[in-house]
Amino acid sequence: MKIAVFLPELLRHLFKKPATVDYPFKKLEVPKDFRGTPYLNPEMCIACRACERDCPAEAIEISSVNEAEKRFRMVIHNDRCIHCAQCVDSCPTTPKAMQMDSLFEIACDDRHKLKTDWVYVRAVLKPKAAAPAAAPQAAEPKT
Amino acid sequence: MSFQIPIGPQHPALKEPISLRMTVEGEVITGVDIRLGYNHRGLEKLAEDRNWTQNIYLVERICGICSHSHATCYVQGVEKLMELAPPKRGLYIRYLVSELERIHSHLLWLGVAGHEAGFDSFFMYVWRDREVVMDLLELITGNRVHYAINTLGGVRRDLDAGQIAKIRDGLVVLRKRSEYYFHIGANEPSFVARIAGVGYLSKEKAVALCAVGPTARASGWARDVRKEDPYAVYDEVDFDVATADSCDVLGRVVVRVKELLESYKICEQILDKLPPGDIAVKAPRKAKPGEVVSRYEAPRGENIHYIKSNGTDKPERLKVRAPTLGNYPATVEMLRKGFIADIPLIFAAIDPCICCAERSVTLIDAGSGEESVARMSDLRRRAIVRHENAPLKRNAVWPL
Repeated sequence: MKIAVFLPELLRHLFKKPATVDYPFKKLEVPKDFRGTPYLNPEMCIACRACERDCPAEAIEISSVNEAEKRFRMVIHNDRCIHCAQCVDSCPTTPKAMQMDSLFEIACDDRHKLKTDWVYVRAVLKPKAAAPAAAPQAAEPKT
Repeated sequence: MSFQIPIGPQHPALKEPISLRMTVEGEVITGVDIRLGYNHRGLEKLAEDRNWTQNIYLVERICGICSHSHATCYVQGVEKLMELAPPKRGLYIRYLVSELERIHSHLLWLGVAGHEAGFDSFFMYVWRDREVVMDLLELITGNRVHYAINTLGGVRRDLDAGQIAKIRDGLVVLRKRSEYYFHIGANEPSFVARIAGVGYLSKEKAVALCAVGPTARASGWARDVRKEDPYAVYDEVDFDVATADSCDVLGRVVVRVKELLESYKICEQILDKLPPGDIAVKAPRKAKPGEVVSRYEAPRGENIHYIKSNGTDKPERLKVRAPTLGNYPATVEMLRKGFIADIPLIFAAIDPCICCAERSVTLIDAGSGEESVARMSDLRRRAIVRHENAPLKRNAVWPL
């Protein structure tokens, strides 16, 4: 047992730079797998609603605007989004219609401003590209 | 003459809301009531309303510190129900994140223990070093707190060579720092004097009151689900169960620092043995009818999830027994005969996570002061029996 064993460590740190980052002036890089805000790539969306069904926060809403034209509207409620990226995992198209960006400074003073929406015509994919899209539906009745 | 001192639900000494009622004689505590329910969020009921995939993220949000523990415990159970076998690489990554989470949780606790003991510089330095493991977790999973790496049938993110190298570098730094803190703990007389002999829990009492995790291990009871009932990768890695015999807060500090060193060992072995291949298999949308109990050694102790399926894409019942709940009866025993000034330290030493534990009802026997934790089904059975036998009461008064 000695007295003040921690003291050398404390004194050494007097001459070191702070461990924190000077945030608004200096930003850290986000990792490559960072889950930012989800967005839709409307050319690829087949309106299968897999993302809507699997979203834990019920933040995705797909509604039909015009049945005849196959026109759909997707709303992403970013105020409800928990940024888990399950919508990207559930999306059956290749390349994925749901994507994640790497923005993290998305705070806002009004939650209603956080809504983003897209109105688009449902994509009809070529049979080759549509093949993976058919797979989850085929797997369903099996269980 | 005895007094009752209410502590909480909101109190500066508590990080989370819980209500403790201490009966004291002078400075000495003679009895403790723990009242649960203030922080009840109804997560179990909510889980019955969501499908298997959505529930991973819901269960993950039971707790912020051991989020991966709850998600893994749930996913393990659902995989058993769906008869899925995740690929080896997926399992290795999943339990690598588990061990990293244990490291971050223990470092966090070590800082809190230093803070509660009045050793604030220790707290700050430990938390600065905790950032190393937080950054590693962010690097692997994409997020700092809710990693969301689990999915039914494996994990969602793969590791590449650059990440593995960074994890190894981080582990070297962490190991060096942990050994330094172990040295500090052993050599700083004021710190040791503050925590030695506080919150005594004998081995017999720990066994009788079903203490779990580091609280049980600090009373000399080597109880660890990873060793006793090895799940997934734990029978392929070599590690020791850390124990201490001093039965007090000092023992709990020593156990956690030793566990840190064991966790570094496990992480390195997992990285060495990381097999190539897929990280996940496709999960079906529905699970067969059945029920399963999943056990997992969370940083705070044994975490139990009970999952019942009725053949649809939603669970019929999800029951969570968080480790903190298992430690409450032991905490009551530890607090008894202690001093008022030791309450925060003793209470912090079980690493309480109130938001994990708030999902069942605690019964307090007013006559003997004994406390028992009842499950909802038991309560329901008792309520029905009582209702059948009891005569109609008139002029009933609130018994307080």
